[in-house]
Amino acid sequence: MSLRSFAGRLIAEPHSWLRAITRRNRLEAEMEIELANHLESLTADLIRAGYSPAEAARRARIALGPTLVHKEEMRASLGLRWWDELGADLRYGIRMLRKSPGFTAIAASSLALAIGANTTIFSLAKSLIYDRLNVAHADELRMLRWNGDSNAVVHGMWGDFDTSWGSGVTASVFSYPVYLQLRDHSQAMQDLLAYKEDSMNTTFRGNAQRAVVAMVSGNYFAVLGAQPQLGRSIQPSDDHVGAVSAVAVISDWVWEREFDRSVSALGQTINVNQSLLTAVGVAPREFTGAKSVQSSPDVFVPLSMQPLVDPKGKNASLLDDPDMWWVNITGRTRAGVSNAQAQAGLNVGLAAAVRGTMAVKAGDTMPRLDLVDGSRGLQFAAQMFKKPIYVLMTLTGFVLLLACANIANLLLARGAQRQREMTVRLALGAGRGRVLRQLLTESLLLAGIGGAGGLFLGYLGRNVIPRLMANAWDRDQLNVPMDWDVFAFATAVTLLTGLVFGLAPAWLAMRSEAGSSLKQNAQTTTRRRRGLGGKAIVAFQIALSTLLVVGAGLFLRTLLALNSIDVGFRTDHLVLFEVAPPKQRYGPGKDVQLHQRLEQGFAALPGVQGMTPSLTAYIANNGDNDDFLPEGEPGTKDRSGAEDVNVVGNTFFETMGIPMIAGRSFGPQDTASSQKVAVINEALAKKRFPNTDPVGKRFKTGDDKPVWVQIVGVCADTYYANLRDMPPPQFFMPYVQQPDVGRMTYAIRTQLSPAELVPALRRVVQQADRDLPLIDVRTQREQIDATMQMERMFAALTTGFGVLALALACVGIYGIMAYSVANRTNEIGIRLALGAQPRQVRGMILGESGWLAGVGVLVGVGAALGLARLVKTMLYGIRPWDPMTLIGGVSILVVVALGASWIPARRAAGVQPMEALRHE
Amino acid sequence: MGNDKQTDLLQGTLDLLILKAVSLGALHGYGVLLRIQQISGEELVILQGSLYPALYRLEHQGAITSQWGESENNRRAKFYSLTAAGRDRLEAETDKWNRMAGIIGTILRTTEEGI
Repeated sequence: MSLRSFAGRLIAEPHSWLRAITRRNRLEAEMEIELANHLESLTADLIRAGYSPAEAARRARIALGPTLVHKEEMRASLGLRWWDELGADLRYGIRMLRKSPGFTAIAASSLALAIGANTTIFSLAKSLIYDRLNVAHADELRMLRWNGDSNAVVHGMWGDFDTSWGSGVTASVFSYPVYLQLRDHSQAMQDLLAYKEDSMNTTFRGNAQRAVVAMVSGNYFAVLGAQPQLGRSIQPSDDHVGAVSAVAVISDWVWEREFDRSVSALGQTINVNQSLLTAVGVAPREFTGAKSVQSSPDVFVPLSMQPLVDPKGKNASLLDDPDMWWVNITGRTRAGVSNAQAQAGLNVGLAAAVRGTMAVKAGDTMPRLDLVDGSRGLQFAAQMFKKPIYVLMTLTGFVLLLACANIANLLLARGAQRQREMTVRLALGAGRGRVLRQLLTESLLLAGIGGAGGLFLGYLGRNVIPRLMANAWDRDQLNVPMDWDVFAFATAVTLLTGLVFGLAPAWLAMRSEAGSSLKQNAQTTTRRRRGLGGKAIVAFQIALSTLLVVGAGLFLRTLLALNSIDVGFRTDHLVLFEVAPPKQRYGPGKDVQLHQRLEQGFAALPGVQGMTPSLTAYIANNGDNDDFLPEGEPGTKDRSGAEDVNVVGNTFFETMGIPMIAGRSFGPQDTASSQKVAVINEALAKKRFPNTDPVGKRFKTGDDKPVWVQIVGVCADTYYANLRDMPPPQFFMPYVQQPDVGRMTYAIRTQLSPAELVPALRRVVQQADRDLPLIDVRTQREQIDATMQMERMFAALTTGFGVLALALACVGIYGIMAYSVANRTNEIGIRLALGAQPRQVRGMILGESGWLAGVGVLVGVGAALGLARLVKTMLYGIRPWDPMTLIGGVSILVVVALGASWIPARRAAGVQPMEALRHE
Repeated sequence: MGNDKQTDLLQGTLDLLILKAVSLGALHGYGVLLRIQQISGEELVILQGSLYPALYRLEHQGAITSQWGESENNRRAKFYSLTAAGRDRLEAETDKWNRMAGIIGTILRTTEEGI
């Protein structure tokens, strides 16, 4: 056959096939007409040749042969045969599933749960770990990082850096002068963009709130290839130091929420940290920016606005400060330049830029540049959640395996019941492949139902998971998209499970020779062979369940341990929120006055029982520390004497309910002009003042101009940044005695709910300053819960998995024991007839399932011990081999196993010998 | 089954004969049968039942195409005609057949002295 005709058939055949199946009725009618015509013409010709009409018709029919067979062959010629057989298989499969609704419900729903769980976790993993920034050609983006040893020339950093790696530091922030040099002199890279994201007080149309603001270089939108959906983007001409243009681009979300997607948003004035900016454009829908895959900044402003919107350092501007490293740099390599070449080129450029901008002292070392994948931004989420996600994926994988084992077990049992049907089919001449296909169709049908249910559950789970992961008070939610990849994943999982659990029983059914089981009768059915396969699967199920139940136990115990910690202060009826006065309006001293005014306002509100500001909110993963050098201790150059500190209001200890151990707490007598005082906690007293009374002692603190502070009291210990670290040594100072404080967290003790209280609080703040927002209103309990988000999600999900696993194990054990008892009715009858007590028979059945459970539990505990070590860092207060959890898990499974086999055992004990023997 | 190969050979030949028959003008199924018998001088007896599966197969493969029209006895009938692809195939198969017939003829004509 020539290539041309082959290609022709490749087009003609699918076309003809499609036409045949879409116009099936017409096709059948046409075949009928054609054959009838033939018969008629033949008969007519035979009559013309001299036969009588009856004889002619008879001969014509013989000559043509059986029309039914011809029609079947004509259909086969059109490639309709497998299609018709598939239809028949499906109809038969559906009939079989409907005949045993219990079996179908259990099998399909367990599969749906497993596939749903897998789909959800897969969507989450995909979004957190594998998804890229939503910008043009994200895969080409490269991010600049550097690493240096402990003598690296860089000392001042604002942003992400990691010092735990080796003894040096790895960071992705650069000074602005270095950025300019790299941008202007890099041959290896196309244009380099710079950005810095920070949260700022922002007012849209009189609505003050905290917003994430990205300060971006003029080429930011151009390099990312983002066209604004309205107005214009930020241009290089906006980003000139000296000639600042006060413009802003807002995100799609802000446009929707604050401006109702109105074109009039353009030209509106936005107040960012007291700087008035004009909105000139709206970023594209779904645009993520260069930093994070999961969320977009709310507002984009030119980087040259930094001294105005986000002043830092001595003279507000970081733009000409060579010593503060703070901007993130991203770009694309030039065509034809390899990563290694680009990195080498940039490395030389970086060294030159550092020497050209900084005063390099003898002994200082140069940072080495690293060009890394920038397609996922800084990957905070990926770094934070990578391990938990992998643990969850493993666990859900186990759940899926368990569901598959469950269905394989059910199908095996059913396959045994259908052994006769299969042998009859084979004996009647069905091809093996044909019977195999029938069985596969049935299991794929079941998997399909499960898969559809799973996809639906996955869709629901998509909405539940972000809620488990987000703070109670955070307005922006983690966005987990449902896309084609997820759908493809669910389909692949479905098909795979269908094949896995369908093939085993089909293969077993095929193994028996035709006729062998027709000859056998009920008693001699090969119990041993089938029994072993089924029991191995059930033992495997029990092992997996043990693993999942022990896992759930570990995470539940972790959550309980964290929940039962006494943090050292009263966490009930405490509302927290923050107020952050911007620096340019509230310079040193003025911010302290503002907080004093707010304090009076809040304290006077009805329903407020107590109130205090503090620099650090507790159990919020935040911390501050400062020098602490008691009088008489020799001072060192480095900050080794630093201790955790909190700068607080004078009513702090009463409001929080922290008891004083010695001395006094702060009071109205402590003012800006009085003697500087401090309270220390017990841990600090033990650490720095062993065997002496610290009250009355003095210490030195402060970076630039150290001052002497007198200790007036000792308070009880409290937890500080989180629940996993023991209460650290801390010291407390009144904020009214500080030169400046800036942002503070207010804690309000009240019987009112936050919703009832917030309007009054907001009024107090707005009376002081219209543009000041209340930030992150939450209760202390919510705050503590937020730090345990991960633990709660794990406890919730693993408990769910554990319960599902137990339910499946239950079904499995019950199924196998019920089947075994039904098959052995004869044997049991004989035993009872020979004088066995029902009690003994019951014991025999229970013993058998106990044996099964024992083996499974043993294997499961072994696996759990091995795997638990891997999640050691995620646990709290217990060892990975926590005996309580192990004993608890094992007992639950043994009880479930014996409980599930109780009914079959009772049925066995109740067998009537005469009936059983007559049963045959 | 023992006579599988024989069927295959016949089938291939039948396809070729059908292509030849409809290449001379559009025909309905019974017409194809008559024409083959007529051309062969009634020498060839075709199993009538296998005619229609072969027609459907050739149409499915795109070698022939069909159209409903009126037969000589005023019935609706399906008329088959050759497509361009079918003409190519007919030529190729004819060449192949002739070559094969030539080779086999040469082999069969060979006498003892010829070796």
